Amino acid sequence: ELEDAGWQELPGCQAVAGTECDFSSAITEYYDAHYVRVRAHTGDSVSPWSEILEMVPEHVAQIGPPELELQSTNGVIKVRVSPPEANQRKKMWFDDLSFKYNLVFWENSSQAQLQRKTIFPVDTVDDLAPDTTYCFKVQANLPMDAKQGLFSPISCVKTTQKAVNDLLCATNLSVLALNMKFLLLWNTQDKQQGNYNVQYLVGYLKELNEDSSDKWLSVPGCENITSTWCNFSSIITSTGFYYLRVQAREGHNKSCLSREVRIDPLETNGIGPPGVRLDLSDTLLHILISPPGGAEDEFMRDHYDLSYRILYWKNSPDKEEEVKQKEVKQTIATVPDLSPSTLYCVKVQAFSEPYNKSSAYSQQECIHTPAGTPLPLIIFGIFMGALLVVLLVATPLVFVFYQAYAKIKYVFFPSCQPPLNIEGFGAQPFSSPYLPTAEEPVENCCVIESMITEDGNQIDFTDYKHSKQSSRDSGNYSNDDNTSGSKGSKETLEKEIL
Amino acid sequence: IMSAFGFWLMLSCTTIISSLQCNHLPWQQRKVIENSLRLLDKMGKKFPQQCLREKMSFRFPMQVLQPRQKESVGTAIEEIFQHIFYIFSKNLTLAAWDGTALDEFQNGLYLQIEQLEACVIKKHTYYHRSKEASRLKLKKYFQKIDCFLKDKQHDLCSWEISRAEMRRCLQLIDKVTRKR
Repeated sequence: ELEDAGWQELPGCQAVAGTECDFSSAITEYYDAHYVRVRAHTGDSVSPWSEILEMVPEHVAQIGPPELELQSTNGVIKVRVSPPEANQRKKMWFDDLSFKYNLVFWENSSQAQLQRKTIFPVDTVDDLAPDTTYCFKVQANLPMDAKQGLFSPISCVKTTQKAVNDLLCATNLSVLALNMKFLLLWNTQDKQQGNYNVQYLVGYLKELNEDSSDKWLSVPGCENITSTWCNFSSIITSTGFYYLRVQAREGHNKSCLSREVRIDPLETNGIGPPGVRLDLSDTLLHILISPPGGAEDEFMRDHYDLSYRILYWKNSPDKEEEVKQKEVKQTIATVPDLSPSTLYCVKVQAFSEPYNKSSAYSQQECIHTPAGTPLPLIIFGIFMGALLVVLLVATPLVFVFYQAYAKIKYVFFPSCQPPLNIEGFGAQPFSSPYLPTAEEPVENCCVIESMITEDGNQIDFTDYKHSKQSSRDSGNYSNDDNTSGSKGSKETLEKEIL
Repeated sequence: IMSAFGFWLMLSCTTIISSLQCNHLPWQQRKVIENSLRLLDKMGKKFPQQCLREKMSFRFPMQVLQPRQKESVGTAIEEIFQHIFYIFSKNLTLAAWDGTALDEFQNGLYLQIEQLEACVIKKHTYYHRSKEASRLKLKKYFQKIDCFLKDKQHDLCSWEISRAEMRRCLQLIDKVTRKR
């Protein structure tokens, strides 16, 4: 709610005699809400305050009249409009480029028809009858704010005669554009060969409040040509618009400017047909699409958000086949479940959904599917193949496993028995037969032998001890029974012992 | 007056040369924003250090891009483009930017403005727009920038600061259009 303290007195609107007051000087903020109230007083008595009027200056303000300047040259009228508030320091509509000017004009005769035209701030009005007086008035509008301005004062001017070198001028300007290659074509009325100079203007320059006639540039490659066409792709960028015109020259003096034609590249441009390639694999048909403008140039796809419409059908000579359709965004598509021994034909069209543009269809490409093998044969083939694989793989595996099993069994679980005469063999399976056993006790034994010689004397031999025999003899030593008793052998025996 | 307005409306629609179709607009808008950001960078060099102390906070009204009616976003974007177009249209000598990049920037913006306008008028969404408070906040924001440039007599620093501000603005719009 509005507080009482914030109210200010309006200068110049205190003690007003009438019922109106101009309070423009108090308004400084055009976009803020303002509140106004009034009360009356006679002598000492004061009335209560009126209802509060709420207003936003920008909402209620009306657009004032623009200024109109006219110039009659060469059978046309050059118009120059100065926006409303042009010389004011503080403007309600500081963005004077947002105005749209509506020109109303008529022939200064009794039964004149009003003609209307939306014009640029600096523009020309042609298609007028020569040597005639026309009257003009213009208003500035803000369509986005739904505001119409006041009309300028009416201004009248007489058109001049048209220049004679009309025949020199290039006519029937037309544009051919495919895959962002732009071509301007025109006709010439003059039988003589003229020199042409194709010029272009960056589109937005016409919208400014200044004259853009000195901003035209020559299209590179079309500066001094005799042909009646020009490739102007080099000056085109996708986001933007342009105007083109042809200047025809003859000698040094005579020149003529054709009408201007406006180019909106993405609108004017035509999408060319894509390329198609077909590939078969099993029962699948692969459709490989190359985008218009070439695969290396992403331009078309980038700017148009291209999609592809594929038409495919079975091409059989006897009966009519249904044409099937498929829409894809990528450059590759697959058609499944093909019938064998059939000729399939495909053609593709590129289209842009946002721009509602489509290309011509590509060349028709056809491919023949191979003769199919019957199903039981296939099953049998697979079965035999699997069997073979199993045999080839399983047999060596089984062999290897068996060998391993046998070796392990041989080492750890031998099946053969040791011979029966080796006693104790096997009783203690872990004792080595080569370890020395405990020594057996050996007796020291002496052998006293008495010999009966022929003398009959008993000879006592000295005792001798048998050294301990090593156990190698297993405790057994042989006792030679010298029962043969020859002398010679006895003596040798003694000597040996000594 | 109403009949005159109606007649004028019809005439202005038929004189607009570009297609009145609105289907391609969201797609094209994204391209224009992408391009505009690229060109804004291309036209000048890095932000000069000496201009940092002059930096101002303009406070872009964010609520403009989040309106109650979804269709109004298109109108808001058109208005923002229009204001940016106006700001970059004159007194650029001291900025010393690349003329070709600037031309392309302005050209792309204007084409988009024109097409958006045609669609808005066609769909009659402007009528509700003109009463919205956020639209006034937008005007205030751009008026502030316009006054700032005028006060500084369009010198280099004021241009560089404005360029950086417009860049921020376009980036915000970019985010919004990507969501749509």
